[in-house]
Amino acid sequence: MSARFLFLLFTIGALLPGLSGQVPKTPWGDPDLQGMWPGNMGVPLQRPESLGTRATLSDAEFAQKEAQAKKQAQADSQSTAASDSVGIGPPSYWVERGKPTRQTSLIVDPPNGRLPPLTPEEQKLRKEARGGKGFPGEWRGEANSYDDLNIYYRCITRGVLGSIIPVVYNNGNEILQAPGVVIIRNEMIHEARVIPLDGRPHVSSTIRQYMGDSRGHWEGNTLVIETTNFTDKDAIGSNGAGYPGDPGHHSADLKLTERLTRVDANTLNYQATIDDPKTWTRPWTLLIPLKRDDRYQLLEYACHEGNIAMGDILSGARADEQKKTE
Amino acid sequence: MRTRLALVAAVAGLLLAVAPAWAHHAFQAEFDKGKPVHLVGTVTEMEWINPHSWIHVDVKNPDGSVTNWMVECGSPNIMLRRGFTKRSLEVGTELEIQGYQAKNGQNKANGSSVTFKDGKKLFVGGSNPDLPPDQK
Amino acid sequence: MRNLVHLTIAAALLTVSAAAQTYRPPRAPDGHADLSGIYEALNTANWDLEDHSPQPGPMWQTGAIGSEPAGESVVEGGTIPYKPEALEKKKANFANRRVNDPEAKCYMPGIPRANYMPFPFQIVQTPRGIMFVYEFASANRLVNMGKPEEAGSDTWMGTNNGHWEGDTLVVDVTGLNGLAWFDRAGDFGGKQLHVVERFTRVDPYHLNYEATIEDPTVFTRPWKISMPLYRRVEKNAQLLEFKCVEFAEELLYGQFKKK
Repeated sequence: MSARFLFLLFTIGALLPGLSGQVPKTPWGDPDLQGMWPGNMGVPLQRPESLGTRATLSDAEFAQKEAQAKKQAQADSQSTAASDSVGIGPPSYWVERGKPTRQTSLIVDPPNGRLPPLTPEEQKLRKEARGGKGFPGEWRGEANSYDDLNIYYRCITRGVLGSIIPVVYNNGNEILQAPGVVIIRNEMIHEARVIPLDGRPHVSSTIRQYMGDSRGHWEGNTLVIETTNFTDKDAIGSNGAGYPGDPGHHSADLKLTERLTRVDANTLNYQATIDDPKTWTRPWTLLIPLKRDDRYQLLEYACHEGNIAMGDILSGARADEQKKTE
Repeated sequence: MRTRLALVAAVAGLLLAVAPAWAHHAFQAEFDKGKPVHLVGTVTEMEWINPHSWIHVDVKNPDGSVTNWMVECGSPNIMLRRGFTKRSLEVGTELEIQGYQAKNGQNKANGSSVTFKDGKKLFVGGSNPDLPPDQK
Repeated sequence: MRNLVHLTIAAALLTVSAAAQTYRPPRAPDGHADLSGIYEALNTANWDLEDHSPQPGPMWQTGAIGSEPAGESVVEGGTIPYKPEALEKKKANFANRRVNDPEAKCYMPGIPRANYMPFPFQIVQTPRGIMFVYEFASANRLVNMGKPEEAGSDTWMGTNNGHWEGDTLVVDVTGLNGLAWFDRAGDFGGKQLHVVERFTRVDPYHLNYEATIEDPTVFTRPWKISMPLYRRVEKNAQLLEFKCVEFAEELLYGQFKKK
């Protein structure tokens, strides 16, 4: 099967609602999306430019990626630590690695899989943020205060997209449904977004929330969630932190449209369109295929409550300053 | 040859572009690269807390006195999913830890390498779903 | 006058219990009583589970705004049966409540406190279990209605195993880490805390909430609290966001800032 054909199938699967009649229904007749749908790390957000508009890897490229993953898994499962593995970062075997897939980027629109250009206003804003220090996610070791650290380090939240874009661990997502309500739970940092389906209006635009204000409705077998009322305090990308290379800061005017479709018994396509004309010159879309895993345990991630490192990092920075003055 | 090279470069780029391994926070901000520590001690407490778990160990100093160290490890959720429970690491277990001391001078270290007496890693096991169960 | 008030309260209670006997709640899709909705306590239990007079709060700077209203005990028999050393700890907790109350630090409230904080919470009955979503600190818990599960490690919101006794939802909570307080008065449980909750819909607008609390390391015997929870009947009522970490950072980390 050619990569091109696969891509076509993939795109159709992503864009069309699942084949009706094959999607299970809840006892009250809604399409049933319930289950544990953990994320799978390993697909870059943006596609390497060299791949152009190619949305999937070729057989040879995929084989190489698989070999790499196998090698890593073998290294992770070595029962004894290599003597030269002591570094300041965490050891590699602490992470939860994903299963290699052919997807070349999470961004599927624009067709080159890359972020559209920033608006001139946003470029200026990012350059001048915090008196030229940049947004906290671009943190380069300065810790004068807690708010020099990004919102993930501070255990505030990872935002809607930061909570679902797969990262090194704790990618648990669970969907629960009741008549008129869908709940999306994200393991890290213990989110439970309650989404009404009853067509009620959004709350007043005065009310601003990290997780926004979500309203859902069904289009065929696809759950469409429209979210507004955001703050501009988180970022788009892994952990909502705004690390270098991530899409980063967005405005409070962001309108997020998520589309969740079961494309087969074990796959839920999560698609999100980011429409924020203050930040990006055109809307762009992410596709995160989620695989069902009934054995996955979604556990309480009480982050802030045990965030001993916050005090250590700040007091460590003070100790460093003290050393310099002595 | 040219195409082959181009291919390799593209894939290498892909691998590099994969989301970097951002742990919950930057260890280099918390620990001092200039203060490596090598601890051998016995577990006094295991704190199963997020974002990172902490193992407390009593370490005997050369002069015979005992210092309690706190060693920062991974997110407990991962360990629990791999079958560890709060009963898996008993008080009194002997561990060897290599890492770096906290910048603030407290008796805290990062658990870059935490092994049992026989050299086996603590929290061993990759999580690649393709591995057969006996290798997970 | 006071007698009259008591009489009125007694009459009201009688009415509620009489209604409870005859009221049949609507059904959820699985045929069980439908408890779903947004609820909130309307009492002073979060200040102090026991009887208390009005008094200043921990911060004189906030004046009457932060001061404590009087309230009657929600504890059966009036007082919590502490062991003597535990009672001393409760008093120490109270003395240091401005900085040590987990609520001040924006920590998850734990069980039972989450249910009577001055914030709404939502019950959603799903085929995967019964979700409790709390506005405070985005805390939440999924009550497992299947085969009971054991906790792999201790958590703030516990391991929740539920079952139905008639139209009453019974939730057995274990695996609590013992770090949460029960109120701003410093009442607390320990590492062996075990809470059994009972939620009963007594009419269209109220749940009756009961919790039996035991921990042999802290209390001389199991004890019980009970209170009504009120349905939020506003049109389009919904939970809003209260991610309070930012509001607690100066309290927790201000001392480490660059001067």
